[in-house]
Amino acid sequence: MQGTVAVLFWIFAVLAVAGGVGVVAAKNPVHGAMSLVGSFFALAGLYLLLDAQLIAALQVIVYAGAVMVLFLFVLMLLNLTPAELGSPRFGVGKVVGALCAAGVTALVVSTLVALPVRATPAATDFGTVAAVGRLLYGKFTLAFEATSVLLLAAIVGAVVVAKGKI
Amino acid sequence: MNASGPDVLAILPELLLTGGALVLALSEVFLRGERRGYQPVVAGVVSALAFASFAANASEPARALFGGFAAQDGLAIFGGATVCVGLFLTVLVGAGFLRVRAAERGEFYALLLLSAAGMCLLLRATDLLLVFVAIELMSVPTYALATYLRTGQRPAEAAFKYFLLGAFSSALFLYGAALCYGATGQTSLRGIAAAGGGPLLVAGLAFLLAGLGFKVAAVPFHMWTPDVYEGSPTPVTTFMSVGVKTAAFVAMLRILVTAFGGTGLAGTVAWGPVVQALAVLTMAIGNLFALTQRSVKRMLAYSSVAHAGYLLVAVAAAANGAVRAEATQGLLFYLAAYTLTAAGAFGAVAMLERRSGASAQPWDLDQFAGLARRRPWAAAATAMLLLSLAGIPPSAGFVGKLLVLRAAVDAGLVPLAVVAVLTSVVGLYYYLRVVVYLYMQPPAEAQEIPVHSWATDAALLATAVAVLAVGIGPGLLSDAATAGAKLFGG
Repeated sequence: MQGTVAVLFWIFAVLAVAGGVGVVAAKNPVHGAMSLVGSFFALAGLYLLLDAQLIAALQVIVYAGAVMVLFLFVLMLLNLTPAELGSPRFGVGKVVGALCAAGVTALVVSTLVALPVRATPAATDFGTVAAVGRLLYGKFTLAFEATSVLLLAAIVGAVVVAKGKI
Repeated sequence: MNASGPDVLAILPELLLTGGALVLALSEVFLRGERRGYQPVVAGVVSALAFASFAANASEPARALFGGFAAQDGLAIFGGATVCVGLFLTVLVGAGFLRVRAAERGEFYALLLLSAAGMCLLLRATDLLLVFVAIELMSVPTYALATYLRTGQRPAEAAFKYFLLGAFSSALFLYGAALCYGATGQTSLRGIAAAGGGPLLVAGLAFLLAGLGFKVAAVPFHMWTPDVYEGSPTPVTTFMSVGVKTAAFVAMLRILVTAFGGTGLAGTVAWGPVVQALAVLTMAIGNLFALTQRSVKRMLAYSSVAHAGYLLVAVAAAANGAVRAEATQGLLFYLAAYTLTAAGAFGAVAMLERRSGASAQPWDLDQFAGLARRRPWAAAATAMLLLSLAGIPPSAGFVGKLLVLRAAVDAGLVPLAVVAVLTSVVGLYYYLRVVVYLYMQPPAEAQEIPVHSWATDAALLATAVAVLAVGIGPGLLSDAATAGAKLFGG
């Protein structure tokens, strides 16, 4: 059992990272978006390995599904030609950015390696809809309700932006 | 459930603001008439009610709300009351501005109220999760408001820039929060203070600071400010400069002091020098760039950057535990004084703004020329507000600067205080130049006569009187700021 989980973890992890690299490296934005879909699916697999079934399902439905369809719609509407996209160039900014990213990665990895291994088993109902719902309406009530107001604000804002010229 | 009755009652101002926003948004659906004069009245009454419910709670002891996600303390109450005053003044400025342009809509006020609700929530948030949600609730309505009017100087560019950089800064903040969580296993500020840290926590704090730096327009995260402030409708600019600044600065102070100012491992992160460096850069660059501007609106945008620098001086002083209360008091007083002054100053810009979008320079200094002859009261009020921005006594701006500088000197940051004084002297030039135009230049030939709006005039006169009154007798406000400096768990 442990062995299977480890194998699955490495498969999903490699796929997720490869997808992420693909997003950055792809020349064609549509290819980048498809790499992102792959990365999202791999992440959903990782969530499953962590017993977070609901989050895994939401990841597939919301991100890999709805959000990516919107992304692709916009990309195809824009219909960018290679000339408009321009050619990638290496500037000082990119080098500094890469160095910073490498630094943060090294920091995260070194911290994680130094962490003591605490393999506490999750509660039996961990990750179920009921458990997540109880958390959302219990401990996280305020943040949850504030998020609902945030969505309302986003809708009203979208109406204002989309409305005709004032 | 951990949402007890008293906890819900404590966030009454946020509930009022959200409810008011719903009423205004729905009014657009059900009341189809062209008369929309009731909308600013509703928005004004709601902001006054929210202010009253903050004031009614002023003497309550500080306590945690919703299981430690938020707090009811002096900082939240004083900051919330300041935001409500800023909202009220914005509504006054907006009422006149929109009426003249036949652009009054319920959505405008609804978005203002929703953003204010986000600010009030941000002021009391004591958990990085809620801080992030509140920052978004504060920002998303302002992105939409920036593009509310599609005529005039490059509004689409301003809105797009604001949206992209705002989303970028939110992402930075979120990344910082994730790193802090990774380093400590905690999202609550007190949890981070109590837990261990390490280099990962330092990286997290750096990202948090960068994200908040964008929101308060601190150099080097200020690039968007002049374009966005100039391109947005003037009432929206007013709201950005008073509301967003207040909420983001209080949140910055709360995060730094509560999570990284204690005696635990996280408290050993030396953020004071970093904030000092940001303050020096912000004061210098804000004031220097403001010097060369002929557009008064753009000048006020750079002035807003410069004032962020003075506020950062107070935050840097708060790094010293011994003078923390004093520095917090100075910060709160300064924020309240800046809210009054900047709202009034942008009100003056709104009053004089040409309606014809064809004009290349609707906010040119020439617009201000000779105002004293045509409208002496408005000119006197504008001059008073500009003197307060420059920090000349007797004005609220002067007292605010004095309190911040005193805190900086007491914290042993004498060089920082010297830089603040020197840059203020530079600031004198560009503020007084407008006053010179008001009083000593003849009006331009084909000058459009500004349309009278009692609401904008009221905002201008009220802020000028308030700024003068606070400058002469600062006792009431400074006592309130002292009470406000009592920070829950700080």
